[in-house]
Amino acid sequence: MPASWAAGAHDGGHHDEAKTSQGNGHGKEMGKPMVGQPGKAKNVDRTVAITMMDNYFEPESVSVKPGETIRFTVKNEGALVHELNIATASMHEAHQEEMQMMVEHGVLKGDRIDKEAMNMDMGNGQTMSHDHANSVLLEPGQSGEIIWKFSKPGELEFACNVPGHYQAGMYGDIDFE
Amino acid sequence: MCRAIIRLVCTAISILNKQVYVMKKSILMAMLAGFAAATVNAGEYDISVDRVEIDTGDFVKEGIGYNGASPGPVLRFKEGEDVTINVTNNLDEMTSIHWHGLILPYQQDGVPGISYAGIKPGETFTYQFPIVQAGTYWFHSHSGFQEPNGAYGAIVIEPEGREPFRYDRDYVVQLTDKHPHSGDRIMRNLKMSADYYNRQQQTAGDFFAEAGENGFMATVKDRMMWGDMRMMKADVEDVQGFTALINGKGPEQNWTGLFEPGERIRLRFINSSAMTYFDIRIPGLEMTVVQADGNNVQPVNVDEFRIGVAETYDVIVRIRDEKAYTIFAESMGRSGYARGTLAPEHGMTADVPEMRDAPLLTMADMAGHMDHGDMAGMDHSKMEGMVHSKMAGMDHSNMEGMDHSAMGMSGGAASDPFYAKGSGLTPQAANGGKFLSYADLKAQDPLYEHREATREIEMRLTGNMERYEWSINGVKYEDADPVMLQYGERVRFKFVNETMMTHPMHLHGMWSILDVGEGKWNPIKHVVSVSPATTVYMETEVDAPGQWAFHCHLSYHAASGMFRKIVVEGGPESTVAEGEQSGHQGGES
Amino acid sequence: MSRSTQLVVGLALATAAMASPVIAQEDPAKKTQTAKTFWGVSAEKLEYRYSDSDEELAVVEGGAFYGTDELKFHWLFTGEWEEAHNAWETLENQFVAQTPVSDFWDAKGGIRIDTPEGKDRVYGVLGLTGLAPQWVEVDTNLYVSDEGDASVDFEAEYELLVTNYWILSASFETLAAFSEDREIGVGKGLNSTELGLRLSYDLIYRTFSPYIGVVHERKYGDTADLARDSGGSTEDWFAVVGARIMF
Repeated sequence: MPASWAAGAHDGGHHDEAKTSQGNGHGKEMGKPMVGQPGKAKNVDRTVAITMMDNYFEPESVSVKPGETIRFTVKNEGALVHELNIATASMHEAHQEEMQMMVEHGVLKGDRIDKEAMNMDMGNGQTMSHDHANSVLLEPGQSGEIIWKFSKPGELEFACNVPGHYQAGMYGDIDFE
Repeated sequence: MCRAIIRLVCTAISILNKQVYVMKKSILMAMLAGFAAATVNAGEYDISVDRVEIDTGDFVKEGIGYNGASPGPVLRFKEGEDVTINVTNNLDEMTSIHWHGLILPYQQDGVPGISYAGIKPGETFTYQFPIVQAGTYWFHSHSGFQEPNGAYGAIVIEPEGREPFRYDRDYVVQLTDKHPHSGDRIMRNLKMSADYYNRQQQTAGDFFAEAGENGFMATVKDRMMWGDMRMMKADVEDVQGFTALINGKGPEQNWTGLFEPGERIRLRFINSSAMTYFDIRIPGLEMTVVQADGNNVQPVNVDEFRIGVAETYDVIVRIRDEKAYTIFAESMGRSGYARGTLAPEHGMTADVPEMRDAPLLTMADMAGHMDHGDMAGMDHSKMEGMVHSKMAGMDHSNMEGMDHSAMGMSGGAASDPFYAKGSGLTPQAANGGKFLSYADLKAQDPLYEHREATREIEMRLTGNMERYEWSINGVKYEDADPVMLQYGERVRFKFVNETMMTHPMHLHGMWSILDVGEGKWNPIKHVVSVSPATTVYMETEVDAPGQWAFHCHLSYHAASGMFRKIVVEGGPESTVAEGEQSGHQGGES
Repeated sequence: MSRSTQLVVGLALATAAMASPVIAQEDPAKKTQTAKTFWGVSAEKLEYRYSDSDEELAVVEGGAFYGTDELKFHWLFTGEWEEAHNAWETLENQFVAQTPVSDFWDAKGGIRIDTPEGKDRVYGVLGLTGLAPQWVEVDTNLYVSDEGDASVDFEAEYELLVTNYWILSASFETLAAFSEDREIGVGKGLNSTELGLRLSYDLIYRTFSPYIGVVHERKYGDTADLARDSGGSTEDWFAVVGARIMF
C-alpha cells in the first residue's frame, strides 16, 4: 500500500504556514480539548472506514462517544487528491487557506501531490509538508489512517479542505452520543 | 383420520392459494413496476411557439416565447430517458428549436437547412432523442432573430448517479439582453452604421480629461493612432441600450430566489443573451464553480466570473445569515446590468452596487488585426505591453509549470492567460478577490481518453467592423465550403482572433475540449470564448455523424457570416454512438 | 467527324469543363442562417435655411437603399426649395449601384436626373465613397451630362462627439466643372463651395436627430458671374435648423 501523508503519532512542532486569520498552523490547535487529541493504537475502541469519493465522503456522518478512541481507515477511491481532516468548521476554513497556498505553489496538482515542491524551503526554513495527526492527504488509490481520541462533545466535522471541495459538500458530521 | 387428512389437504390448498395469491400479486406488482419504469424512461413534453409580450420594467415589447412566455419553460429531463418533444409553431413564419449543448442525432439538432427544414407555421414537429448527459443547458430558436426576440428557455438534466457536490436547493438564473429594437431592426441598423448602438464612444470631454492626465500631444497622438486605423477603443459592446433580464425580470422587477439560512444553493447561470457578456458577482458571498457548460469541473472558489454568450456556469453558494444578497451581473462593456436577489423572505433586498467604468480596448487588443502596413506612422514608444512579433500567439502546450506571474495570485495585477497581455478587457474582481479564468477550469470527470489530435484546423476569426461583416478565414458563410471531418478523428481547432471583439465560438453536436494546458483534465465545453488578439485551442473527438452548425454565438455576427457547416463523414449507421464506444455522458459523477 | 476535329472538340469541351466554376454545394442553411439583404432610409439634411439676405430655403438631402454587402442599389435625392420663387432651385434624383472596392471604400455608378426650375439634365455618374483615416467621411463623383459636359463634386464630413448624444458635424462640399453649361448657370472651373457646421442631438436613437447650424455658400469665377447676371447672390451665410433621419 502506498504510504500516506500522515503519521499516527505526531509531535507538536512542524511547519507554520503563512499566517491566517484563524491562527498559526496546527501546532496551536493540536491538543485543544475541543477537538480531541491523537490517540494511541492500543487504546482504539473501534474502527470506522471512510471512503473518499469525488467530491464527498462515504459515510457522511459518524457517531462517537466522548472519550472514545477511534481508528479511521481512509481510502481514496476518487480521481483527485483529497484530505480528511477532523476539526471545527472554523479550523477547516483556516486550513483551506493553507491548502490554497499549496495549490498556488504547485504542491497540490489536482490528481497528485508534488512531493518535491512540498518539501521546498519557503524561504524561512518552513516547508509545506502536510503532517498532521488529525488529517490525511491522499492521492487517488492511496489509503491512510487517523487514530483520534475524542474528548468533550463539540461541533466537529470531518472535511476535505482541498480548495473548493468543502464548498462543494465534501464534509461530514461528527455526532456525539 | 379422514378428518385429519382433509384438514391437511385443506390447509395445503389454502397455503397453495396464498402462494398463488402472493404470486399473482407479485406478478401484478412487477407489471406495474414495468409500466412505471417505461413511463419514467420516456418523458413527453409539449412546447408551443407563440407571439408574446415582454415587459422588462423599462419597456414593453412584443416578442416570441414558448408556452406563452419569454423565457420559455425550464425543461427537466433525466439522464437516460428518451424524450419526445412536440413543438407547435403558432407564428406566421418558420421556426426551429435547437437544444444547446445536447448530444443527440443530428436530425434532432434543430438548425434549419442543416438538421431539418424547420417548423412551418401551424405545424407540429416532434423531436425524439435519448438523454445521454446531465447538467444545465438551454434551448432557443435557430431561425432569424427569434432568439434575441425572446425565444429561449432552460434545460436541467438530473444525473443518473450522484453529483460530485451537494446542495439543498437550486435555481435557474438565466440572463438575457432584451432590447427595445427587434433583432431584424438591430441587424439593419448595425449594417447602416456599425456604431449605431455605441453610446460609450470617446467624446471631446474625454479628450480633454485625458489630455489633462497624459498631456495634450500624447492624447493627440493616441487619437491619431486609432483614427489612422479607423478603429475605436470604445468598441467593446456592439449593441447597447438593452435591459438585462434574469429569468425574464429586469433590475427593477428583481427576480428573487428564496432560501433557508444555512442552505447550500446551486445557481444554474445561463447566458442566453444575443450579444452580451456578463461579469457576475454576489457581493458578500463567495461562489464555488462546480460546472461549466453542463460538465462538472473540479470545484473552484471565486468572487466573480465572466459568462460568455451561450455559456453556462453552475455555482454553489452557502448563506448562513438571515439577510438578502444581490446577484449582480454587469455587462462586460458596463452599459447595463442584470440584477436579482437571494433572500430568506420575499420583499427583502440588498444594496445594488454601482456599475464600474467602461473598459477601453488597448493596442494589445488590436494586435491580431494589424498587418505591417498599418504599423507605419505609429508612435512605437507609446505601445507599452506590445510585442511586435506574433502577439496573437499563446502556446498552451508550454503552460505546464506556469510561473507565478501568470497565476493571478492575490495582491498581483489582474492577469489571465486567455486575454492578450495588456488587454483592456482583462477581468478584475470588484472586491479585489479571485476572478475565474478559463485556466482555472479542469474537468472533474474527463469524458474521453486523452490522446494526440489527428490533425489541426486553423480558423482565423476575421471581420470588417465598419461594414459589420464577420467571417472565418476571411470568408463569409454564404461563400464558404463546408468543413469536412472524418468520424473517429480528433481535430485540434486553432482559433486565431484577428478582430478586436470577443467571440464565443459554438460547435453543435460534439464537445469542445478546451486546451488549458492540463492534458487529460482539460475542461469539456460547448462554447469557447476567444478574446481579441489571442489564439485559443480546443479539441474535438469527432464522434457524431451527420452535419452540424459551427458559429460565433453573437447573434448579429453569426447572421453576418461568422458561421460554417461542419460535415462528419463516416460513422455507424445509428446516429448516436453507444455510450461504451465514446462517452457522451456529461455532468455526472 | 475526323480525328483531328474530334481532338479539337474534345479539347475544347475539356477546357470548358475546367473553366466552368465549381458548382457550390447546395446548402439551404446559407439562406436560413444568414441575413443577406438590407435596406435603409435616411436624410442627412432636412432643413430650413435663412440667409443674411432674407433668402429662405428648404433643403433636403436623403435617400434609400436596398441590397447585399456586395451590391446595394441607392436612390439619392437632393432638393433645394426656394421660398421666394416657390420652386425647386435644385432637384436631383440619383440612381446608383454601389459595391465595396476595399475595406473602407465603395465605388458607385449610375445616373442622375435633374429636374429643377429651368432646364432638365441627365448625367452619368461614377463615384467613390468611404471613410478616410481620422474618421473623415468622403463622397466624390464624376458627372457627365447628356450635353457632354463633365463635372466633379467632392464632399467631406467630420463628426465630433461633444457628448455621446450631442454631435458637432463639419462639412465641406465643392463642385467643379470641366466645361460651361450656361443654361443651368454652370461656369467652367471651380463652381462653388459650401461649408457647414451643425450641432445635432440624437433625440430618438439615431432615428431622429434635430440640429441647428450655420452654412456658408460661395460661388466662384464664371459661375459667380452667371449668378450675378441672373440677379442671384454669390456669397451667402445661412442659419439652418433641421433634423437628420436614419431608419
